[in-house]
Amino acid sequence: MLFNSLSFVVFLIIVLALYYSKIFNWNGKKRMLLFASYVFYGLWNPPLVILLWISTAVDWVTGKKLAVEEDKRKRLYWLLLSMFVNLGFLTFFKYRDFLLDNFTAVVNTYGYGYKTKPMDIILPMGISFYTFQTMSYTIDMYLKRTERAKTFLDFALYVTFFPQLVAGPIVRAQDLISQFYEEKRATVNQFLWGLFLLTLGLFQKVVMADTLLSDTVDTVYGSDKILNFWDAWMGTLAFSGQIFFDFAGYSTCAIGIALLLGIVLPDNFKYPYASLGFSDLWKRWHITLSSWLRDYLYIPLGGNRHGVVRMYSALMITMLLGGLWHGAAWTFIVWGGLHGTYLILERLQRQYIPFKITAWNGMFLAFTTFTCVNITWVFFRARKFDTAWNMIKSMFYMQADGEKILDTFTIIKVSIVIGLLFLCHWFMRNTSLKEVSLKKSPWALGIIWAIMFFLIVIAQGSGEQFIYFQF
Amino acid sequence: MQLKQSLIIALTIFVVAISSWEFYWRSQGLCPTLDDNEALWAVQRGRVEKATNNDILLMGSSRVLFDMQLNEWEAETGIRPIQLASVGSSPLPIFHDVVNNTSFNGTIVVGVTPGLFFSTTSPEAQPWQWPQSKVDYYKKRTYAQIANHYLSLPLQKNFVFLSDDQGIDGIKLKELVGKINVGNRVVDPMPPFHEFGEIELDRNLKMKPITVTDTAYANSIIKVWQFFMKGAASGPPPDKAGTMAFFLKDLEIFKARGGHVILVRCPSSGGLRQGENMGLPRAEFWDDLVKQAQVKSYHFEDYDQFKDLYCPEWSHLSSKDAQYFTTELVKIMKADGALTNLKTN
Repeated sequence: MLFNSLSFVVFLIIVLALYYSKIFNWNGKKRMLLFASYVFYGLWNPPLVILLWISTAVDWVTGKKLAVEEDKRKRLYWLLLSMFVNLGFLTFFKYRDFLLDNFTAVVNTYGYGYKTKPMDIILPMGISFYTFQTMSYTIDMYLKRTERAKTFLDFALYVTFFPQLVAGPIVRAQDLISQFYEEKRATVNQFLWGLFLLTLGLFQKVVMADTLLSDTVDTVYGSDKILNFWDAWMGTLAFSGQIFFDFAGYSTCAIGIALLLGIVLPDNFKYPYASLGFSDLWKRWHITLSSWLRDYLYIPLGGNRHGVVRMYSALMITMLLGGLWHGAAWTFIVWGGLHGTYLILERLQRQYIPFKITAWNGMFLAFTTFTCVNITWVFFRARKFDTAWNMIKSMFYMQADGEKILDTFTIIKVSIVIGLLFLCHWFMRNTSLKEVSLKKSPWALGIIWAIMFFLIVIAQGSGEQFIYFQF
Repeated sequence: MQLKQSLIIALTIFVVAISSWEFYWRSQGLCPTLDDNEALWAVQRGRVEKATNNDILLMGSSRVLFDMQLNEWEAETGIRPIQLASVGSSPLPIFHDVVNNTSFNGTIVVGVTPGLFFSTTSPEAQPWQWPQSKVDYYKKRTYAQIANHYLSLPLQKNFVFLSDDQGIDGIKLKELVGKINVGNRVVDPMPPFHEFGEIELDRNLKMKPITVTDTAYANSIIKVWQFFMKGAASGPPPDKAGTMAFFLKDLEIFKARGGHVILVRCPSSGGLRQGENMGLPRAEFWDDLVKQAQVKSYHFEDYDQFKDLYCPEWSHLSSKDAQYFTTELVKIMKADGALTNLKTN
């Protein structure tokens, strides 16, 4: 079910009515939320709810055992069982064809003429998100960093909680399960702020991403022509806006919906396009994934505790796997590799050419970071290396007489939208939406709210899927 | 933060704004219409699963949608056909789907618009891609999408601002923004295209009266056909061998399980008819198809009843003429024994 759909509006109204009615006690409400979460997921593809059940059951049992088991070897076996199941699902459903294709390509370079038939398996929506979430619980249990969930119901709801089930934020057990232990009711202000965030998230998705930017991206990246400099840049800039509005929009909706229930989810984006460098970027973009990768991959790989070479290797491996998390294709791995390279270069710069960041060079640095990020988006968006390479060549004037495919207004539109996006991130980078809203008069906030709602309604189409659902 | 106050202000402004928006578009002459989208098509495709050998399916391009009126067909036969035709489409992907993915063994009326029927079997080409996307949607639609469709119907029927029309008639934000034109960096060669049909819940479609009464409106659509004819003349030639082989293979399977197929060539007029005669001559395309298919077939030029019919925009019949065409065509089919198991009499 998509947040930007009529069925979700009806679903949410029913859930809220039941949640705030006096029919259920707190346990009953949690059961209702769990059932609603399965309905939310099952309305997309009912049989795949079974995967959620298996993942939930395995990690619940593992957590239970890890809570009492002291034998190190047995603890490790339990951890490996959980990893095997979760990563096994992920590998089978998401990476099977990719691995098989590469295996075939390698084998065939030795002249074996091996042929495989793709299984065309459906990718369970949000599998990368909920497997990472359940794995974080088990790893934390193994490392004794978190308490065991008190009841199976609390744990199952943690794995399945519908606002963040299919595209995050990826929440740690200690941040969410503990919220289920005592009855939660949103205060009036929390509820209304949740509604505001839901409106803002839908505005980002429906108006900014789908209405103003998506067509430009599809036109540019769907073209098989060698493009003009401006067209290539506009398509890429439009994608940088589209993916931000799409994904940040989803996270904002998720946070807003959870708040309607009195549940607080962590921020996932903090104005990332005004980042001062790439370490800063990953503290602001998809925060819950980057902190997951830091805690469960980068640090276990050695982090910065074992010298420079080990640190850079850990950094690169983390980013390459981070790229692979996004999709089973070499283009995503290159995307991750570029980010890894940026992070390494940034650390080298800090070591050998340090400089103080001021207001003036800060903006230049933010703009440089944003430009470099755009180059990585080319590999993220292009389905093939040929397309990506053609785009890069066009963007750097390596294509003479590239084709013009965007009209003047589209170029103006994308420039204005992305320009405003960048400036908005720059001016908001050290504050928060809530802080700014507190300073606004009720009238100003009301008018902004009305404009967003009105534009959502007159823009709403057939309900485009969120980009991150495919990851 | 006084959010309660903000919410009241927001709701008040929103209600005033959206009401004004709705009234504005109604004042411009627009009426609420259903969107002929994949979800609406999928509902009809779903009916095929339970269809019996008494049922009739209509397939083809927009000519079948405009020219074959379900009320008249039902009045003549007692059976309301299932309308599966799709605009700008070859009937082959949908015929292939029904033949290979259902056990339906009733009657299928296949509309033959030569420029589309004989165009291509390439999955990337529009005449194939459009109907195939409908078939794929039907196969993959989720329960959430089904629910969205049924929830959207009462809204579509009552609010103009939800119109999903595209291009020059579009009033969604994306369409309105898309109409802004600055400079001439890239010129879209296609003339503006009007949505000149109104569809009902079971996909019975009628031509908008303005197409008949306003010559300028009809001419704007004719310009689009001329644009496509020009494109076809300079584009790849029709793939007669490929399309015929594809169709005849499915036809054999369908016939073998007791199904009946009727081929129909709906009227076209003016320059479009001339273009069809030049590019896809009847003897070479239609007659050869009929000969090889060995099924009942009806070409509008073969019947006196249809000789005076004129398509206002060269390609489709007005609502009134479509009613007449359907009634007379069914009578001819009945007299010819093409339609069996009728529920009348």
